[in-house]
Amino acid sequence: MTTLNRSQETSKRASVARESALSVKWARRREVAQEVFRNPLTVLGLIIIGLFFLMALAAPLLTEANTPDPYQSPRDWSNISVPPGEAGHVLGTDATGGDVLYGIIWGSRLSLQLSLTVVGFTLVFGTIVGSIAAMRGGRLDNLLMRVVDVFLSIPELIFALAIAAVLGPSFRNIILALAAVFWVKYARIVRGEIIRIKQAEYVAAAKVTGDSTWNIYRKDVLPNAVSPLVVQATLDMGNVVLIGATLSFIGLAQAGLTEWGAMVSAGQSGLLAGEWWLSTFAGLAIVLWALAFNLVGDGLRDVLDPKTEGR
Amino acid sequence: MARSDDWLLRVDDLSVHFESSKGVAHAVDHVSFDIYPHETLALVGETGCGKSVTARSILRLVPEPPGSYASGSISLRNGDGSVTEILTATERTVRSIRGDRISMIFQDPGKALNPGLTIGRQLAEVFGEHRMSMILGNAGFDPEKPSRTATKIVQQRAGLLERGVYRLTHLRAPKALQKSIDDSVMEALADTGIPNPRKMLGSYPHELSGGMKQRVMIAQALACDPDLLIADEPTTALDVTIQARILDLIHEMQQRRGMAILYITHDLSLVRQFADRVAVMYAGRLAEIGPSAEVLASPQHPYTQGLLAAIPRPATPRGQLAAIPGTVPQLIDPPAQCHFASRCSFAAAACHEVTPQLLTIAEKRDVSCHRFDTASRIGVSPQDMPSAATLGGVASS
Amino acid sequence: MQVRDYLIRRLLLLPFIMLGVSIVVFTLTRFTGSPIGIYATPNMTPAELAVLEARYLLDQPIPVQYAAWLGGLLQGDLGWSGVSVAPVTAIIGSKITATLELAIAAGLIAILGGIALGTIAGVRRNKAPDHAARLFSILGASTPTFWFGLLLLVPFYLWLDWFPLGRSTAIIFDSIAHPTGLYTLDAVLAGSPTALLDAIRHLILPAVVLAFGAMAIIVRMMRSSMVEAMSEEYVDAARSKGLAESIVIKRHARRNALVPTTTVIGLSFGFLLQGSVAVELIFRWPGLGQWVTSAILAGDQATIMSYVLVTAVIFMSVNLAVDIAYAYLDRRVVLG
Repeated sequence: MTTLNRSQETSKRASVARESALSVKWARRREVAQEVFRNPLTVLGLIIIGLFFLMALAAPLLTEANTPDPYQSPRDWSNISVPPGEAGHVLGTDATGGDVLYGIIWGSRLSLQLSLTVVGFTLVFGTIVGSIAAMRGGRLDNLLMRVVDVFLSIPELIFALAIAAVLGPSFRNIILALAAVFWVKYARIVRGEIIRIKQAEYVAAAKVTGDSTWNIYRKDVLPNAVSPLVVQATLDMGNVVLIGATLSFIGLAQAGLTEWGAMVSAGQSGLLAGEWWLSTFAGLAIVLWALAFNLVGDGLRDVLDPKTEGR
Repeated sequence: MARSDDWLLRVDDLSVHFESSKGVAHAVDHVSFDIYPHETLALVGETGCGKSVTARSILRLVPEPPGSYASGSISLRNGDGSVTEILTATERTVRSIRGDRISMIFQDPGKALNPGLTIGRQLAEVFGEHRMSMILGNAGFDPEKPSRTATKIVQQRAGLLERGVYRLTHLRAPKALQKSIDDSVMEALADTGIPNPRKMLGSYPHELSGGMKQRVMIAQALACDPDLLIADEPTTALDVTIQARILDLIHEMQQRRGMAILYITHDLSLVRQFADRVAVMYAGRLAEIGPSAEVLASPQHPYTQGLLAAIPRPATPRGQLAAIPGTVPQLIDPPAQCHFASRCSFAAAACHEVTPQLLTIAEKRDVSCHRFDTASRIGVSPQDMPSAATLGGVASS
Repeated sequence: MQVRDYLIRRLLLLPFIMLGVSIVVFTLTRFTGSPIGIYATPNMTPAELAVLEARYLLDQPIPVQYAAWLGGLLQGDLGWSGVSVAPVTAIIGSKITATLELAIAAGLIAILGGIALGTIAGVRRNKAPDHAARLFSILGASTPTFWFGLLLLVPFYLWLDWFPLGRSTAIIFDSIAHPTGLYTLDAVLAGSPTALLDAIRHLILPAVVLAFGAMAIIVRMMRSSMVEAMSEEYVDAARSKGLAESIVIKRHARRNALVPTTTVIGLSFGFLLQGSVAVELIFRWPGLGQWVTSAILAGDQATIMSYVLVTAVIFMSVNLAVDIAYAYLDRRVVLG
């Protein structure tokens, strides 16, 4: 009789603890949002991101999409290598008459596609792998972490470079290569967080209630592991485009693609002749994109991770 | 105010302000007191009352943004009778005082010793800074004409290359220098009863126990025979068993060396045992100051009375700890009033309108409380005054 | 002891991880059209190709192929580099030393510059130098290395002609012996100021460009650990002994702030390795990066494969070395 009551009580206490943790969580989320918006640099980053997103989504409205491939700049053969402002080309044209502004706008679509796809996939896949490793533990954990270690022994860019080279130069392969390389980071983070959380009391309390591992994972463990993931994902939205641009620059994307890195590369020879606009504007676009996500990521980190000394 | 002129250190009308996002905090508000040679003055008060800031001001250690010395002066009397104004002196002058004429030991020796340097090196720094001639002389150098490299070596400022070259060109000199430094350091360590000083030279702080670390700090602070030792809660972070030994050590050193001690503490039992005089601080101001035996036996300021009443005694029945009702007021832009008024059982209208001055109520006893003042002097009408009190008669609460 | 156990575990795991890396690289080689391409030299007769195919067991199941490949690898057969028209093992040495020289130069700039800038930023927290340092940091993390390289190339190479492209002027280079493979060091050893000047003139620009990203990381870390160190009690205690502020900053705060910064140094080396790809391409620096970029365009698998293997080995070794260094430092600085 007494044992039943004891476990009932623990069960009740566990669900009460869970309830209060939940309400704390929502209040905390609002607090976090307010904290984040208080930082002017973070707000600046968000504005820039917003502008890029708009530009990317509105590309077919802002310009007339080129046929058959909108991701090739329409060639104005009578106005090649024209400086910005002339002949109706706001940012000038490249050596084949391609409009630079068109390239920037459609390039933002590619950047959006690249970053969302890669970060989306790696976040989910990495979380799954890391969660399995941490929740199951034992030999599976060991095995998975060794795989992660192997992947981490090869610098990201170099690994992605090799994969993309093997698969063949195309933008799609760049996406695949980056996805194949970046997930390990998230697996590591998630596993670390879960192991840390598993040692917390409320998880032990939840276990006592006899709840299934999946439920405990879903309700107690995962929500608390989210913070560093959010920070990393935000930063990676910028990093992925940086590395992707480097791969295109080296030549792993299709020729003439309106991808910012490829544009910088295409503008190299022009530089020697004083035709600065292609490389400069394309490069600036990359910097702004990465800067915006870095600002937001830093702002989030300052708020979510109390360990780092910010201001 | 009860003061005589043979003071060693005079703190006069000291105010220290801190800028914060919420406004200007008056951490120390017009505090004055003297420290006489050879005496032990205890500075007591609860956390946040400004005692630590006051102590650090004496060595001008308050970081100057966000802090600032808003008013007052701190004067140190020199051997030749002249006086050094610490708050306005040059950086060099203040540095020559620190560690030499006035030293400080800190609350947590684990945090106050640099974890990355050996004990030997940390103590050597004090000698290198203040006893250069002695070190050089003991090593066989002519202190009148010091070699630049030798001085740099003693101060641990010589680079690897410089030292290497020096070692090659000067045969036995580098060894003599190191021996001179080590000897002085070991002497300082041994003086505080540390066993095996030679081993201590190469030890790192994390290898020592809490009590041993505090001994090392004391040795370091007393290395150059200061006139004043500031002890900022030196035993708070230690085990109770070690506390007594460290306190005994400090006072044994005082017997031998004769320095004055400014004791920062929140522990009134220490005051009873070791202090000649005690100054009680509350919310940045001095509440009461006087000989410790008298103040403890018959406290005159309502705050001090409350403090002493709150000390649990064996006779206190269970569940009846006396506490002072209310909380410490905000230090930001304080209004002109007695800071303790909202918690004081004697408070009257005047207490909420006029800041009390520090008044001499007997020889060497000062209190800042309107109960010892007159309506006419403050400038209020008599019915606004709290019930008057005189020394010796502790009015019933 | 706990730390030492961790390091021993790392060392024991190392061969397994390297094996894992080899499996990954091998898998990549099987994705290409013809695995034999790694070993095939141009102008090979069908008979010779058949011999190769037999040696590397290309008609056998994959695991067997892997064993054969690995065996070849361990015996020093890294394939034939089409881009360099030579066996990989013959020319990889000079590529490695070229990239190492660049990486070391950039690393020195990044470390020394980063520590200096980070220290000032941490000491003068929230004042002008701090804001400048943080701006520098975030720009360093957001600027693609290849673009930064072009940005500096135009004024310094194109307009001012201060710094030439490539690694050396052939005549000068050939005039001295190269025992170490590091041009600058060889010039010093040969006692030739002309060669040294030549080496430095070629090295500066790519090294600075490469250092930018790594330096940004180091500045950031150094700044935050300095801020933390300066707020420690032992800093005030040091001041209370009468020490000059510069000594307090250098000997007390900075020395302890350097410890956590070493962890970042390993991280930034990865940055240097990755950045070298673009930098070598732009500045025509004859190292691993330039080598692999031409290999990509030419479909030279042996080069790409060897590149991944070599960089992984270098990267792992540096990380392990940094971890050992950190463990050694931390032992003394154990937070008691």
